[in-house]
Amino acid sequence: MLFRLFGKKKKEKPKPYSQQMEQMKNQKLEKRIQKNSSNLKEIFQNDSDFSFREFQLFGNTSAVAFFISSLVDKEKINRDIIKPLQKEEKSKKESSKSPSTSSILNEVLYYCDGEMGSDMKAVIDALLHGKTVIFIDCEKEALFLDTFKPEKRGISQPETERVVRGPRDGFIEQMQTNISLLRYRLPVPEFRVDPMEVGKKTKTKVSVCYLDNIASQELIDEVKKRIQDIEIDRILDAGYIEQFIQDNPRSPFPQVQNTERPDKAVGNVLEGRVAILVDGSPFALIVPAIFNQFYQTSEDYIERYMITSIIRVVRFMALIFSLTFSSLYITVLSFHPEMIPAQFVVAASSGRSGVPFPVVIEVLLMEVAMEILREATVRMPQQVGGALSIVGVLVIGEAAVSAGFVSPITVVIIALSTIGSFATPSYNAAIAFRLLKYPLIILSGFIGLLGLATGLMFIINHMISLRSFGVPYFTPVSPWNKQGFKDALIRAPLRWLTERPAELHPKDSVRVESGVKEGPTNPLADEKRGDSNE
Amino acid sequence: MNKQRDQVTNLQLAFIILSTMFGVSILSFIRFVVKYAGLGAPLASLVGILLGFIGLLGLVFIGKRFPKKTIIGYNEIILGKGIGKVFSLLIILIFAVLMGLETRHYAEAIQGSILPNTPIQVAIIVMISLCATTSFQNVSTFAYIHFFYIPLILIPVVVIFFPVFKDVEIYHLTPFLGHEPSFKDFMLGAMTTMQAVGNFTVIAMVIPFMKDPKKSMKGAVWGYWITGAIVVFIVTITVAVFGEEEILQMFWPILILGRMIQIPAEIFSRIDAVLLISWIYGVFTTLLSYYFIVVRGICELFRFHHYRVISICGAPVVFLVAMAPNDIYTMYDYILVVVRYGLLPLLGYPFLLLILAAIRHKKGEAV
Repeated sequence: MLFRLFGKKKKEKPKPYSQQMEQMKNQKLEKRIQKNSSNLKEIFQNDSDFSFREFQLFGNTSAVAFFISSLVDKEKINRDIIKPLQKEEKSKKESSKSPSTSSILNEVLYYCDGEMGSDMKAVIDALLHGKTVIFIDCEKEALFLDTFKPEKRGISQPETERVVRGPRDGFIEQMQTNISLLRYRLPVPEFRVDPMEVGKKTKTKVSVCYLDNIASQELIDEVKKRIQDIEIDRILDAGYIEQFIQDNPRSPFPQVQNTERPDKAVGNVLEGRVAILVDGSPFALIVPAIFNQFYQTSEDYIERYMITSIIRVVRFMALIFSLTFSSLYITVLSFHPEMIPAQFVVAASSGRSGVPFPVVIEVLLMEVAMEILREATVRMPQQVGGALSIVGVLVIGEAAVSAGFVSPITVVIIALSTIGSFATPSYNAAIAFRLLKYPLIILSGFIGLLGLATGLMFIINHMISLRSFGVPYFTPVSPWNKQGFKDALIRAPLRWLTERPAELHPKDSVRVESGVKEGPTNPLADEKRGDSNE
Repeated sequence: MNKQRDQVTNLQLAFIILSTMFGVSILSFIRFVVKYAGLGAPLASLVGILLGFIGLLGLVFIGKRFPKKTIIGYNEIILGKGIGKVFSLLIILIFAVLMGLETRHYAEAIQGSILPNTPIQVAIIVMISLCATTSFQNVSTFAYIHFFYIPLILIPVVVIFFPVFKDVEIYHLTPFLGHEPSFKDFMLGAMTTMQAVGNFTVIAMVIPFMKDPKKSMKGAVWGYWITGAIVVFIVTITVAVFGEEEILQMFWPILILGRMIQIPAEIFSRIDAVLLISWIYGVFTTLLSYYFIVVRGICELFRFHHYRVISICGAPVVFLVAMAPNDIYTMYDYILVVVRYGLLPLLGYPFLLLILAAIRHKKGEAV
């Protein structure tokens, strides 16, 4: 309320400068080139990268080209714009009529990205998007020529989703490049890239990509609606969009998937999902996302099914470990030692003999230490990383144990639960589970097995009630879906995966009719089946 | 996206019945069946299941007659506004009280088995808050939750009961009608089983949200009979292992059964904790069903559709009910009263409604 009051006050007394600017921005272009130029110069004042070049059009009409030198390709301007325009053309000279803007665009310039505009606002917009604006004397329209040349890095392997086997290209910050990476893999006319713009100040370009004949229309409309509803001044990364379009902002679990890999994005689009690309972010968002996707990788479809299935189970176990292992340890040691064989209890208790804290405190201390270590490793410059790991290993692993601060078994348990969370392919899901580990530790420290069981139930109930764009988070387990389960905890052979996930309600639910046309034949065997020549 | 697609399927209905019936009393009802029916317990429980089945049929029939209405809704149509509301309120009351007592029952079992030193209130509060944070979700989420917990409930039961086969003594089971059987005692045993599993009324709140309420019979029957088979199986095995005399000295025969099991690989020395966890899941799904009836019922009755508010305000009430009995013995007395004069008549109640509806020519609109 207070802020709103302040806001109102400001509106009532606008600065004279900004008013002047607003006025100028809304003006139409005038016929006199000097007037237009001076207006524009006043708007940009003395910005160091605001440049212009005056020249004579075909040697008889004065013209001026404006551009923002930090955004444009100067060579292109020299070669493709100034040069043909300054060249005296005899035919034109004979007619001795000053050329119109449209005739220049249509007849003189060889340029695929050319437009015309007639008001100041369009001019400013075009300039700021890397276009070159040309004013011609006695013309009410200006020429916009796209000379944008962004600084971009090369396509490199995604840092966050490494694969042993599989494509090595990853998205980069420039959206056009990212779209080209998608189109290259999906050369079908149904692949739609719908442009949108979000952010009052940054005016960030956002593309909604989907397959028109597969993705459900309701889903597409909902995604677009949610993006349109975003009210914010800045979009600096895809993560901003994610936080606005997720279903339940109060949940620790990610409800939108992000990926740096074009192959993963294409795979998801082919399943009937929608990918959202944001200019300036090397991450594509994929919606809707269900829980299963967060422990799957794109490599799962590349390696053979049996190996993949086992690896997926391992990853899932790691996720469960990271959530429950430390609290199970507390439960067993301090409440139910009868659950494990006597030798174990003796071993664990004798290790703890000198430790001054109860198990809960010990585990909590170690978990927090681990968390600090992890965060430090992420933020550290790589040169110092080595020192950090030595400190971590020596101090936490060795010294803490020999000082009698923690018991060796606790260190093992904590290490397992931490490594478990690192084995999860998606960082945001791993973080969610690591976060939820702490309430579980505290609960099981208070009421043992009951605390662990009920804590888990709280988490499970929450997850079951989550929806991502209307799709239940725990599909295909609950609600049950047999087809979907073929590609969940395990991955069935590719030839069995003939249907798209039913929970997405795709327009076309069948990928292919049957996995293989005909079984393999053995060309070396005597049977006739292999010889088609006879 | 499309709300029509988020409907409850037949499979989910079956699972809702299954996990609702698998509840608190599974741990203890065997003792009471044996107390009345003696060695006739397995047969008596079978008869009890059969009797309960009739009640289920009534519920499904009336649900099919009014495919868009819950029990609260058709109460008002059949009995008229005033009387209908009174009866609906009574049903809600029965389930609220039953939930409180069953929560207490559960907490007593927890205290007796794994948390002897923790105050009983902790277990009660934790369980009620679990129900309160879940019961305001929509019907499909309710169905998903039931669906999800079923494997967690059933797999440990199966895993635990298979190793027990080696301890089965057939002579414990004969004579299968019990020593000196009397019809009255036998039927009392059957009634006890019926009371333990007669809490499937929740389907009266779920049927109108089904994809096809007219076909609800299949799911309901399947769900009921799978549970029935498991219940009879559990009773038979427990009696076969312990015999009549031993069971009468135990409060929670199944937990003791779990304690007897040795796992070959020496990872866990005792498995009853695992059994107990799966039982906690079972208790939760049952209590959730009760609370779901209470919350949904109140909201529909008073046309007040803020489920969240009701489910949070209802929690302290249920807690007070749970704390009412002084000890486990008075708790059993209370439960017996509520079940005998509340739940059992509720099984016959749908037939009364059906007859009245036929007489008054009331019918729900077609789907």
